[in-house]
Amino acid sequence: MRFNPNINAAVISDIQQSEDNLQTAFQQESTGLRVNSASDDPAASAALVQVQAQAANIDQYTANADSIIAQAQTADGVVSSVVQYLTQAITLGTEGANSDESTADKAAISAQVQGLLQSVVGLANTTYQGVSLFGGSYSGQAFTGNPTSGYTYQGNSDVNQVNVGDSLTVQVNIPGSTLFTSSSGNVIAALSGLATALTTGTTTDIGNATAAVTTALNYVTQQHAVYGNTINQLNSQETYLSQEKVTLTSRENSLVGIDPATAAEQLSQAETENSSVLAAAAKVIQNSLLNYLSPTS
Amino acid sequence: MSSLSSSLAIASQSLQAQELEIQVTNNNIANVNTAGYTRETVNLAEAGAIQEGSVSVGEGVDIVGVNSVRDNLLTLRIQQQTSQQSSAQAQVNALTQIESLFPTSGTSLSSSLSSFFTSLSSLSTDPTSTADRQTVLQNAQTVVDQFNSISAGLSGPSSGLDTNVDTDVTQVNQLSSEAASLNVQLLQQQAAGQSTGTITDQLNQVETQLATLTNITVTHTSQGDSIVTGNGTPLVIGSQSYALRTAIGTDGHQQVWDSNGTDITSAISGGDLGGTIEVRDTQIPALQNSLDTLANQFATAFNAAQEQGYDQNGNAGAALFTIPTTVAGSAAGISLATTDPTAIAASSDNLANTSGSNGNVASLLAVQNASLASGSVTTQSANLIYQIGNLTATATAQSTAITQSLTTLNNQQGSLSGVSIDQESANLIQFQQAYQAAAKVISTIQSLFETTINMIS
Repeated sequence: MRFNPNINAAVISDIQQSEDNLQTAFQQESTGLRVNSASDDPAASAALVQVQAQAANIDQYTANADSIIAQAQTADGVVSSVVQYLTQAITLGTEGANSDESTADKAAISAQVQGLLQSVVGLANTTYQGVSLFGGSYSGQAFTGNPTSGYTYQGNSDVNQVNVGDSLTVQVNIPGSTLFTSSSGNVIAALSGLATALTTGTTTDIGNATAAVTTALNYVTQQHAVYGNTINQLNSQETYLSQEKVTLTSRENSLVGIDPATAAEQLSQAETENSSVLAAAAKVIQNSLLNYLSPTS
Repeated sequence: MSSLSSSLAIASQSLQAQELEIQVTNNNIANVNTAGYTRETVNLAEAGAIQEGSVSVGEGVDIVGVNSVRDNLLTLRIQQQTSQQSSAQAQVNALTQIESLFPTSGTSLSSSLSSFFTSLSSLSTDPTSTADRQTVLQNAQTVVDQFNSISAGLSGPSSGLDTNVDTDVTQVNQLSSEAASLNVQLLQQQAAGQSTGTITDQLNQVETQLATLTNITVTHTSQGDSIVTGNGTPLVIGSQSYALRTAIGTDGHQQVWDSNGTDITSAISGGDLGGTIEVRDTQIPALQNSLDTLANQFATAFNAAQEQGYDQNGNAGAALFTIPTTVAGSAAGISLATTDPTAIAASSDNLANTSGSNGNVASLLAVQNASLASGSVTTQSANLIYQIGNLTATATAQSTAITQSLTTLNNQQGSLSGVSIDQESANLIQFQQAYQAAAKVISTIQSLFETTINMIS
């Protein structure tokens, strides 16, 4: 059997192969990635792109949740104050319903209730990021008017929903028409009714008006719980999202990443192989019969 | 009859034979690094014996000729593999360029689509924010830019490949005419009874070069080597070569025509030419089509979602993207229809002063994962990555595999036909000794003659 005498080509191709391996190992070690371009693993690359999109959405859901929590907390604070004012109004109403009170005292109480009404309207006009918090999607002030002519709701009943998960949306706002002027408990009407009753009404009228305020209070308290629930829901959703993010990151890593220890081992193996190929090549290509034939023979 | 003179004749013939051996060895050594050279050996034979009574004595050595040590089947297989190898390599070269248009990290089509949708999602928490709307618009512009630049990136190599086709065809023609003239020389030398080793080496070399350009079939005939392309178009028959030519076709690309005026572009396979045409006419159009489809379906779906809502001023939502009416050219032609951030139809309410509504953002966001005719936006952009990755990986794997088998074949050919300096050195010593011995015979015979002549005097 004759062997190929021209081993140079084979030697060079071996050296190139070994250098290619070395380069790949170096790239994997330095980037920490097994897949550096789509052709390294087409299926993993395609999956990676989808995971990346999912991860970007998760980040955005978290940002959305943060922003809604801030808004919900503001609204929650406002509604808490409203509840407080209503409670005060009920106390005042109960006081005014006492037949012992003089007309002047009742007028004074009525003025206090008016003050509460104005405060509540002020709260109902709270803005968040320049937009009325309780105006639906209305771009202007939610309630307009004055104590004498009464207050009108200018906003609408639009409710904004925001995605905080692939299939989870939360309600961001409660429109003023639901919160303050609902037929189930009209806060504004109840307070102004009480103020009127205290000035002009009978004890019975005041009692009825106070009862209306109580109804409004109960109703607002119910709505108040909605915010609390939303905040709780968002907090637990954020926990879920951060877990999901960890899951996605580890999926991303298992798709295209390489274990640093493995990469380091491969790199040192490639280095060893490369040096032995070079050493062998240096030895083998200089060998020839001519080296051993003396010039005189 | 045995005599001193016949011994002298045998010795001088032996000298000639050893000289020829030395000359051929010398030629082998001289061509040790010549590409395509096939080592030669001298074919010697015993001269016929003459009968002298009961004794039969050999009449020395006859020079039969000089042979090249080659295996034609191996040469053909090498040519075949060479053509597959350079086809795969041409594809790898072109596709690697294209692959960089679809990175798996950093800014890519899929990342810009993803950012576009997350910025919309961000807008839903604060629909009146001009900054958020501006971000959405900027991200939409990035998406458009990605579509435009990838589309341009796909047609860029496509026109570069046209140049390849053109130069490949020029080379094919040049090599074909070389082969035809070598055929003529081959026949002349055969007719004159000369050794054809050198011409055959040259012919094989030209054929191997042709094989790197396109898939060819070589047939050894009495008229020399016939060379036809893989689809049967003749390039060389005997002393005649048939030139291919190129012309711009209806698709705006260089087409290859045979000498009869038939368009054979789609029939060409193998070699740099075949690989180039494969990438240019099959692979790039497939990618372009996927990209156009994505651009078209994404823009159409998004525009439809826009029209369901109302912009920040309460007007009915208008198309955000302008796209060509046909799918083809959608990626190159897509553009933003507006630069006005209020045009994003986030609102579902057309009543006055309802800019705070985000009711339509959900519909806009739904476009990301809605199942469009060819899959969701995310799936389609992931598929594009898979498509290009798979094409490149397949071509690379093919190239590696063929390189290995080609190395084996070349090794086989080298072990048969390659010049070994060691072997030639050893032979040289052997022939030197034989030459010395023959010369010694001559000087011996000379002294015998002298002895005989002295005997007479």
